[in-house]
Amino acid sequence: MNIASFAPLAVLLPILGAALTFLLIRQPRAQRTVSIALLSVTLLLECWLLASVWEGGTAAVNIGGWLPPWGIVMVVDQFSSLMLVVSSSVSLAVLIYATGQGMADGDRDAPVSIFHPTYLILVAGVSNAFLSGDLFNLYVGFEILLTASYVLMTLGGTGPRIRAGVTYLVVSVVSSVLFLIAIAMIYGATGTINMADLAVKLADLDQGTQNLLHVMLLVAFGIKAAIFPLSFWLPDSYPTAPAPVTAVFAGLLTKVGVYAIVRTETLLFPGDTFNTPLMVAALLTMIVGILGALAQSDIKRLLSFTLVSHIGYMVFGLAMSSVAGLGAAVFYVAHHITIQTSLFLVTGLIERRGGSSSVDRLAGLAKLSPLLAVLFFVPAMNLAGIPPFSGFLGKLGLLQAGVQLGTPLAYALVAGGVLTSLLTLLAIARVWNRAFWRKPEDAEHPDPVLLAAPGDSATGDRAGKTNVTLLPRTMVGSTLGLVIFGVGLTVFAGPLFKVADQSAFDMLDRTAYIQAVLGEDPPVPAISQPEPQEVSK
Amino acid sequence: MGAITKSALVPFHFWLPGAMAAPTPVSAYLHAAAMVKAGIYLVARLAPGFADTPYWLPVVLGLGLATMLVGGYRALRQTDIKLILAYGTVSQLGFLTMVVGLGKPDAALAGLGLLLAHGLFKATLFLVVGIIDHQAGTRDIRKLSGVYRSSRALAIVAAIGAASMAGIPPLAGFVAKESVFEAFVHYGTGSGAGPWGLLILVGLVLGSILTFAYSARFMWGAFAVKPGVESTPFKPIKPAFLAAPAVLSLLTIVYGLWPAPVDGWVQPYAALFVPDGEDPAAAAGHLALWHGVTPALGLTALTFALGLAMFFGRNAVSRLQGLVPGWIDGDRTYQLAIGALDDAAVWITGRTQRGSLYFYLSVILTVAFVLPLTALVLANKALPEDLYFVDPNSPLQIVAGAGIVIGALAAVRANKRFLAVLMVSVTGYGIALMFALQGAPDLALTQMLVETIILVAFVLAMRSLPAELRDRTGGKYRVVRVIIGAAFGITMVFVAIFALGARVAAPVSLEFPKLAYEGGGGLNIVNVTLVDIRAWDTFGEISVLALAATGVASLIFVRSRGEGIRASSTVAEGSVGRRSPGGSRGNTRDDATLAMSRRFAASSRDAWIVAGRTLAPERRSIIFEVVTRLIFHSIIVFSIYLLLAGHNFPGGGFAGGLTAGLALTVRYLAGGRFELREASPVSAGTLLGIGLATAAASGLVPLLLGGQVFQSAIIEFWLPVFGDVKFVTSTIFDIGVYTVVVGLALDVLRSLGAEIDEHFEEQSEEPAGDQEPGGVPAETTAKGKA
Amino acid sequence: MSVNLTLLTVMGALYACGIYLLLERSLTRVLLGLMLLTNATNLLILTTGGYAGLAPMFSKDTAAGDYNDPLPQALILTSIVISFAVTAFMLGIIYRTWVLAREDEIQDDAEDRRVARTPSFDVEDDSVIPVETSEFPLTMIGSDGQSVSDVPAGAEATVQVADRTLDADKAASEEQPGSLNVTPPNKEGGGQ
Repeated sequence: MNIASFAPLAVLLPILGAALTFLLIRQPRAQRTVSIALLSVTLLLECWLLASVWEGGTAAVNIGGWLPPWGIVMVVDQFSSLMLVVSSSVSLAVLIYATGQGMADGDRDAPVSIFHPTYLILVAGVSNAFLSGDLFNLYVGFEILLTASYVLMTLGGTGPRIRAGVTYLVVSVVSSVLFLIAIAMIYGATGTINMADLAVKLADLDQGTQNLLHVMLLVAFGIKAAIFPLSFWLPDSYPTAPAPVTAVFAGLLTKVGVYAIVRTETLLFPGDTFNTPLMVAALLTMIVGILGALAQSDIKRLLSFTLVSHIGYMVFGLAMSSVAGLGAAVFYVAHHITIQTSLFLVTGLIERRGGSSSVDRLAGLAKLSPLLAVLFFVPAMNLAGIPPFSGFLGKLGLLQAGVQLGTPLAYALVAGGVLTSLLTLLAIARVWNRAFWRKPEDAEHPDPVLLAAPGDSATGDRAGKTNVTLLPRTMVGSTLGLVIFGVGLTVFAGPLFKVADQSAFDMLDRTAYIQAVLGEDPPVPAISQPEPQEVSK
Repeated sequence: MGAITKSALVPFHFWLPGAMAAPTPVSAYLHAAAMVKAGIYLVARLAPGFADTPYWLPVVLGLGLATMLVGGYRALRQTDIKLILAYGTVSQLGFLTMVVGLGKPDAALAGLGLLLAHGLFKATLFLVVGIIDHQAGTRDIRKLSGVYRSSRALAIVAAIGAASMAGIPPLAGFVAKESVFEAFVHYGTGSGAGPWGLLILVGLVLGSILTFAYSARFMWGAFAVKPGVESTPFKPIKPAFLAAPAVLSLLTIVYGLWPAPVDGWVQPYAALFVPDGEDPAAAAGHLALWHGVTPALGLTALTFALGLAMFFGRNAVSRLQGLVPGWIDGDRTYQLAIGALDDAAVWITGRTQRGSLYFYLSVILTVAFVLPLTALVLANKALPEDLYFVDPNSPLQIVAGAGIVIGALAAVRANKRFLAVLMVSVTGYGIALMFALQGAPDLALTQMLVETIILVAFVLAMRSLPAELRDRTGGKYRVVRVIIGAAFGITMVFVAIFALGARVAAPVSLEFPKLAYEGGGGLNIVNVTLVDIRAWDTFGEISVLALAATGVASLIFVRSRGEGIRASSTVAEGSVGRRSPGGSRGNTRDDATLAMSRRFAASSRDAWIVAGRTLAPERRSIIFEVVTRLIFHSIIVFSIYLLLAGHNFPGGGFAGGLTAGLALTVRYLAGGRFELREASPVSAGTLLGIGLATAAASGLVPLLLGGQVFQSAIIEFWLPVFGDVKFVTSTIFDIGVYTVVVGLALDVLRSLGAEIDEHFEEQSEEPAGDQEPGGVPAETTAKGKA
Repeated sequence: MSVNLTLLTVMGALYACGIYLLLERSLTRVLLGLMLLTNATNLLILTTGGYAGLAPMFSKDTAAGDYNDPLPQALILTSIVISFAVTAFMLGIIYRTWVLAREDEIQDDAEDRRVARTPSFDVEDDSVIPVETSEFPLTMIGSDGQSVSDVPAGAEATVQVADRTLDADKAASEEQPGSLNVTPPNKEGGGQ
């Protein structure tokens, strides 16, 4: 039997876990065990998928045994399985972090009984979006993860969270409506919603209609991926959620949008019709986003802006339609998921340790908690693209591809990319200098926690003692794990780039994907006889 | 190529000294030895591939040189010995970048040699600074005096490091720097480089002179006896403290005297570069202490001479530096630039990040119609031919359509909350009618049920909100809203016309009837599509439902999931929703009515429904209770029929679940929140869990049996009463769907109904009694519609 | 494919009304607008099924093309249910907003407003290199790096540590989201 037929388990297992955690609603401990165990199993399964795809090439699974284009297919290729592995690793780390926080807070802030099922379904939705080979099912995957994110974002129901939740919810629903409109238009024009089938049939349409459908999909995904000028909602909504929730949103949700755009640009509408507008959008996203980051004083908001800004890099990469560019973009997505999530997790720790996430109120954290400083420093430098980290390698790959392309616009983007990384470094260095190194007395509104600290607590084990009470081991441990995972991306950058380039090649080539779904010889649509369905077991 | 700018080169070198405010050992470790070196290492790794691109050399050499000179210049101005080292590091980084970036084999060799040497001596020196700081309590060269006398060992260790930095033989720094000069002399005088090569060489020598000068300044500043400064109190150093820098400086000496092993390590790297074709000798670089009398040696001598001169003329030099106007000073310029940048950032952010949902949506929707419109105009196509207003199969659609539009316009105009809700419901029901007219009975049924439940939920949730619905946006905005709305609507109509008109292929769904009947074993094609062909969609969708239910509960209950409503038997009779007589300013007429209704309710207190007795008498309606009693079970039975028959007739899990939800709604409205608990012994969360688990299991089992996920099977067997029964396993999945939908309905009623009831009662029990205006009692409003 | 203009016109009208309602500060209207938008989209999907036809109940004598297209119907059903879920959730939000703020209105983001008002960043913010020439103030450190103070590092400090742990705990448990930082600082940390 084909290994790929186990791919739907990446969605099914978390939902099964959600069902179990619903039933275990009064036993938080059991809930924790179930969700961590199921997510770990899912991660192992996905690693196995990645390995098998690396050897055996793209594979598709027909759900319920219904042949495409009638049934729903899930497609496992290198890109999707890579995204699965990275996203599940990140979600697992965040889950452990969140349970740590829940335990430390005495479950005050996040009613655990709700958190676990919701979180698991969120993971399922993300995986579904990565795997889906059916446009409408992609929509369903988006809806799953969005609904889960509405619930997670409004956890606790405080004023700011509800306010942010409204912004987020309304914008997301509008983007979903736009996506659904685009699906309807595409079905109207082609009579199918299977993506491989669409790849064949869209080509039969005239260019004008193709562009029309193309642009409608791009607008819908552009909102989800937060591309300028469709990005303003993001920094208003993400930062107010609880730290682990923000972390997983920042890491995964926009990337799902980017993933959808990549599929649109490579599978459905190949070619370079929209490269120029996409590049312009990428440039504006980078610059406006990073300027926004410079204007912030709150770390979470600052990071949200850098998140938007760095989406620009990915769009830049995919807009080049070259193996080098797309490969670098794939690498960058994997890198950015990990790094952005770790930074938000660290910010959560900073908030616990320093009592605030605003740089106006933080100071001297390096002496209070050297471990925290290291945890922040490594991913922060990685984000800014300091060599030799993966952020540097990803950006370098993008810039190289840009230089290769050699058009004036590509050079403008290369310059913009360098500028953005410099400004990211500036923004991050500001946080680093102010929150970690200045004296508490120098802060504008120092938090009482910091002032209470004895001046020389850097020595001796006293600082260590308070760290234990303030920073639960599970939280620090999971953050540390993720930071190490991020460093691992650097260490194994070589093989990773190989996977990224190979997947970029496959995506631009398209035949692997289409043949995996529709068979070696794509059937002529319409009049063909339905294959006899074997439904007996 | 952009990468190089980031390894702390000009203009970004400022962060490095800033970050070096770190405690000394960390600083030494992070910056001198490892952190920044890693960047250089990367440049070194990249150089083999990049050296041929036309932008590489000017960028690397230019930036490297600038960094080297600026860093050295600034190091000469510092009074803190750590900052001297910090700026020295910046300078050395520029130096290293130039060398390794040159992309020639001999330079590569020299670069790696220098990299190693630098690591050794810079780590030594930082450790020395740490010791001085620790023992003397200061790092200021204006305060330090006579440290040499206090600790000779330390001074010697430091001197070795500093000498290596300055490039004095026979130390590591000399060996490395010698081969660097060698490489650049070769480059500068070789063909192809032209005047630039010489210029670079001059710059390099200048940089080395600065290096020599600040090395001397460091030694003098840290250790020398200064006239007029009293000698610094300096505590004796423990030997262990000194061990680390001593070992490092020992290595420096060994490396200088015997560079052969290092040479062996780095030769393979140098071999990566293609030697210049015209001069094969260029490849033959070596790290060695003595190269013979070469131009490089001459340059080294020149460096020493001028460096010494600069050191001895240090007062003149610093006077000269003081004369340089402030704006040339990098720091000032940098800060001004950053200030301007920040202003720009705030300005742009203030313009785009308005914090207003209205603004964000306007932008999004504008983009959403402008781009497709542009695409339409550019496509410049003729209208498709096959357009029609009246569907020959269903002319009534026009009437239904008019109804829908009128409902929508009325919803826009409505200034009463419930009127607006009702008007939106009208459009909803109109669309249900439209579905029916189009030939979609399942959709019509589901849409009707959903509209009804939503209407009830609306009324329940909004009973505490004011009845007025004011339009709070100004006239200017209203115009914008009309324009965006109309433009979007019209654009979508035309996009749809062109997109639908463009279809050439037959839809895949033509095969669905046959697939559904033969493969799915059902007559209702839509239902088979939902639970079998596209079961995966439905599976995702019920998890959305489960989430929404959870979400509503979490918003209303906030802290817990609120699983327990007490059993009705524990609740005092008539305690729910009791109004205190005379509470509202002694309105006697109300009181009379109240008394009357109580008498009526009390006189016929037969238990039609279980928890009816918990309601206050004035809230009870006997007729409603009787009707509820009569119809509840029939509705439940009907819902189960819909569920099971769904495979062959209109219905299915959704419709069935929604119907059961309506039955629960009726019970709740008649008997209040305790009745709701009686009606469903299982909690909503459990229902959601069981439903999801059933659905997931029905997907998982086929996989375990060797099929695909969600593969269905048809089982035929004989039952005594029913005769031959055809059972399709996808029905199990549908049962899961049914259960989740019931769970959702229960959760909505529990939260928006029961829990808000409780909020109400808590509020009215508060003495101040700030009565909510427009609080419509649930029963009276919702009864008519249920 | 033939296109039903009646359905499309109704759809267009619903979009226009929906967007008009959506661009409004009242949450109730926003929700009603969203409902109109999803209804309109369902109509659009319905239109892609072509002419009205027989209800898709299989019978052997009917040609496949005579039914109304069942696939769009299945999609609409999914979409109806999903928007039902979102509507229910949004109702919860509206009620919650009412409970919290006693108004049914969308508020602007306070932090965005604050940032937009920031006159200019203080240039000094970035020159954080303190003019400090030692991390080891002389009075506290003996030659061996130990404290020279007569009081062993126990007595006084323990109290301090305990005190600080307590305060820190309290402050951390407040765990305010970042954008709350514009509120007066005395809300947090519970007084020294």
